[in-house]
This record gives sequence, C-alpha cells and structure tokens, in this order.
Amino acid sequence: MAELLQFVITGITVGMVYALIALGFVLVWKSSGVANLALGQLVLISSWFTYGMLVQAGLPLWLGLLLVILFALALGWVIERFILRPLIAQPILSLITVTLGLAFFIEGAVSFIWPKSVAALPRLFPQQPVHIGTAVVSQEYLWAAAISLILFGLLSLYFRYHKMGIAMRATADDQRAVQACGIPVTKIFSMSWMLACALAAIGGVLMSCIGGITFGLVHTGLKAFSVVILGGLNSFLGAIIAGPIIGLAENLGGGYLTPLTWPGVREVIPFIIIIIVMFLKPYGLFGEVRIERI
Amino acid sequence: MGLPAGTRNYSYAQDMAIFRTKTHWAMLLALLVILFTAPLYCGNYWLSVANLIGITIIAATGLNILTGYCGQLSIGHAGFIAVGAYTSAVLTSRLELPFLVGLIAAGFAAGLIGMIFGIPSLRVKGFYLAISTIAAQFIIIWVISHWTSVTGGFTGISVPPASIGGITFTSQASLFYLIMVITVLVVFLAKNLARTRAGRAFVAIRDNDLAAQVMGINLFRYKLLAFFIGCFLAGIAGSLLAHWIGFMSVEHFSIMDSILYIGMIIIGGLGTTIGPIFGVLFIRLLQQWITSYIVPGLEGIFTLPAGFATGIGPMVFGLAIILFLILEPRGLAHRWQLFKASYRLWPFSY
Repeated sequence: MAELLQFVITGITVGMVYALIALGFVLVWKSSGVANLALGQLVLISSWFTYGMLVQAGLPLWLGLLLVILFALALGWVIERFILRPLIAQPILSLITVTLGLAFFIEGAVSFIWPKSVAALPRLFPQQPVHIGTAVVSQEYLWAAAISLILFGLLSLYFRYHKMGIAMRATADDQRAVQACGIPVTKIFSMSWMLACALAAIGGVLMSCIGGITFGLVHTGLKAFSVVILGGLNSFLGAIIAGPIIGLAENLGGGYLTPLTWPGVREVIPFIIIIIVMFLKPYGLFGEVRIERI
Repeated sequence: MGLPAGTRNYSYAQDMAIFRTKTHWAMLLALLVILFTAPLYCGNYWLSVANLIGITIIAATGLNILTGYCGQLSIGHAGFIAVGAYTSAVLTSRLELPFLVGLIAAGFAAGLIGMIFGIPSLRVKGFYLAISTIAAQFIIIWVISHWTSVTGGFTGISVPPASIGGITFTSQASLFYLIMVITVLVVFLAKNLARTRAGRAFVAIRDNDLAAQVMGINLFRYKLLAFFIGCFLAGIAGSLLAHWIGFMSVEHFSIMDSILYIGMIIIGGLGTTIGPIFGVLFIRLLQQWITSYIVPGLEGIFTLPAGFATGIGPMVFGLAIILFLILEPRGLAHRWQLFKASYRLWPFSY
C-alpha cells in the first residue's frame, strides 16, 4: 500500500510538469496550426542552458533563471520569425517536417556545445524528503507540482483578462476575422512560440531538478505528445487533466507491470496510450472533432 | 511536355513510355553499364558507401510511396526497417533458413507491422498520424531490445552472410551486385507503381482524401496498401542492412534515423521517383564528407571543441531540411526537371 501512495504522488506531480510542457504545444497548435515536434529538444536545450548559466558560468540563482527565461523567449521568437514565418500557408506536411528538422538541429547543437551526456543542476529546492501518510516524497516533486499549478492559474488569468491573451484565443478561433479586427496575427504567432518555449524551459528545469539533465529529457517532450493526444489537441483543459493521467499511468505501470513484462516498460507506456487513444477516440478526451468539407 | 524538340507521340504506347527516345535508352544503358562495372575501378571504401546508399534508396523509396505519393507521414520508418532487419536476422541465424526466405519474410513482417500501425490513418491524419508512427517506432524498438530470447536484446545478434544458391555474398563487391540489382528493381517498380491504378489512387488520397473517397476510391484498402508497400520496402532494406553489416543491434534504428529518412525524401523531392535517389545521395555523401574529410581536416588545423564531431552532423542535416523546406520545397527533383527542360531547349529560352 505504501508504494501505491508513492506511485500516485510522484505520478500526479510529474504529470503536472508534462501538462505544463504540453500546454506550450497546445498554444502553438491552436494559434498557428503548427505541430511542434521539437518540443523534447526545446526542453533539452533549455535545461542545458540552465546548466550553463548556473554551473558553468556560476551565476546567482535569480539571475541565472531569469536569463534562462529570456533565452527561451528569444529562442521562441527566432524559431517563429526565421523558420515558421516563411512557411505560413504551406501544407501541414511541411509544417510538421520543418519542426523535425529543427529538432535535429537543436539536438546537434546541444551535443556540440555540451558534449557531456549527463549533468546535474545545483539544488534549487530544500532537500529533506516529506512524509505524506506512508509515502516519502522528495521535495522537488511537490515544488514542481506547486509551480505548475501556479503557472496554470496565471495562464488561465492571462487568457481570460489580458488583452494579448484574449487576442490569442481569438486567433485560435478565426484567423481571418482577427486580422479584420486589426490584430497582427504574425505577432500572435511569435507570442505563442515565445510562451511555448518559456513553458518548455520551465518544465525542463523542473524535470532536470528531479532527474538530472540527460537525453531522457527529449522523452519528456515526447510524453507531452501523449498528453496532448489523450487530452485533445486543441484543449487547454484536456492537457491539464491528461498530464496527471499520463504521469499516473507511467508510474503505476512502471511499478506494477515491470515484474510481469520487461524492464523499461515505464518508458513505452505513454506511447502505448497514444496507440490505444488513436484506435478508440482519436480526437482525445476534450478535443474538437474536425468536420471536413471538400 | 518533357519531350525533346521535334519528338511527337503518335500512339498510346509511345505516350506511356518511360524511355521514349533512343537517347534515353542509350543513357539508361550507359548508366547501368557504369553502375555494374563500378567494382572494377572503385575501392572497397567507396563500394561500402555505395552499398549503404543502395540500401537507403530502397528504404527511402518505400517511405516516398507512403509519404510522397499517399501523403501519410510516417516518422517511424527506422522502426519498420528494424522489424525487417531482425526478422531476417532471426530467421537466417537462429532457424538457419536460406537468405531469400529471410529477405521475403522480412518484407512481409515489416509490411504487416506497418499495416497495424497504419490503421489509425483511416480516422486521423497529419499530426495525429505522425505521433502514432513515432509511438510505433518506440514500441518496436522497446520490444526488440527486451525480447532477449529471440533478438539478443542489447547485446545484439550476429547475422550470417547472405547466400543464394551456392553463391555467398561476403565481399563488398559481391554485396554491391546483390544490393544494386535489388535497388534497380525497386526503383523500376516504384516508377511503374506510380502509374498504375493504385499509384493514381495514392495521389488522389494525398491531394484530398475526402474527394478521393467520393470518387469511389476505397480509402481503407489503399491507405493500408500504401502502408504495406512502404513498410515492405523498409523490411527489404532492413534485411539487406542486416546481411551487409553482419551484426544487428538496436542502435542502428533510432528516432533520429527516422527523421533523417523524412529529410532525405524532402530534400530529394516528395512524390517523384528520382527524388529519393537524389535525397539519399545528398545526405549520405554529405555524411561521408563530414565524417571522413571535414572533421579530420579541421582537426589538423584547429583544436576542435569536444562535441564538434558528434554535433556537426545533426546540425548540418537539420539545417539542410529546414532550408530545403523554406527555399526549395519541391526538392532536388524539381531542380533536375528544370535542368532537363533547359537542356532540351538550349540554346533557345523557350
């Protein structure tokens, strides 16, 4: 029983970080219709950048993290301006594959700049584990969940009340109408990319506090895909709900299925969920079913 | 369209001919002669490069049928190649079946697995399909690397050399003939497939699958057929790869390889027969050039940062994919068409 509680708590908290990263995907997908397959690589490069700032350059914590956020925003802007902007109104195949090219490029750049394969961030959170009932949880998990929850709250306020957030929702709804209202759609696109990269960076920092910086962070991005598939591609609520579900499935499955099957089953559970969702309910729990016309 | 000045078609057969004029035939013969006498004047190093290129052309042609003609994006191609490679490896080394059985079985195994993962394509497309093929890649690789009793797991499996009849293909030159014969056959079949009922159905599905369905094309049959053919060729390529290397481990089939295959057909030109060939030549020769000339050459002059050798390749390929998509989305095949058109009309401008 003790381990059940343990699995549930780690699953839900890690799942919230997945949801955070997935929100960045949904944001870009809704506003510009681009499927960002470089999500995992964005998580990877911002975690390494954090390492570079905090450990290699030895900057104080607040300055280092501020620079990481600025770096992520700049990266998002550059990606949108120089890679996605020239491809506006191209077929979806090009939009998907260009992010694959980007993924390739970022992965090369990471192994170019940081040739080590493993590194650890300095401790950002207090170390003593917390006892919840019978489970012992290290504080990183709880902090990660708390920070994700705060960001969910801030984002929903942003989309509800801020002018730019409302404009972004409007763009998701109808690009042409938004353009007719005088809202610069390209600016919305670059805003959404910047936000997505910032979310990926925060998610990356939280994940690398939990598990260190490895190439496994790319898989964190891939797990975010199973979150968006399960939750529905164009639903913020879906991503927030599906994140903990994926985290739970991963941890419970990893805990209880490994003796029954092969080791490493934990890593493929999100992908098996993707395939099951594809067969049963391809548009996810909260996704909009697309009706096509000729 | 596309005919040399002064040549006209008077019959349907002439209209459909791939090699229409005597010059075409002469060029084809010259190409084949040069190709099949290559072992006489190429060293082992270049023969092994050519073998890798041939195998990659087979796989990329399969992906091109699936993605380029039928429009179903697959980011799990390396996984399907792995299915073929391991099927052939297991059949020939553990069950000691002949190579040809392994080759054909590899094709069918990969084709069937591809069809299973292609079933979602009936209801979803675009990004959803891309994700489900990524999932396929990870599930396949996970199964292969953990099903130790059959596949050897992480330690890998050694593969006996290919042999047909009494001939055993062990040297690079003999493998060159085996691989090139199959490559030429595959390219020829792919060219003709595109002109059959199935090929035209694929193009219709790519352009608008709803409209294709209204016209009476059975989406279920043709989408799965595209998955089957694409993954069948991947399986053939995998089998050849296994027997060429002689040793299989899952490291040959990473997700980055899948992306690289997509990159090859993008750079070459989607939906053309010549495209994958150009794309594969471009990527593989670039790879060889970087690893054997650029990196050692620069190392002689500067002290390179530690990550240079591993990082430069992916950076260049990623950049190539991005730049081709932005600047020349129709790929090298389109440039080739433009070159041919201007060559035919030269010295006139039109």
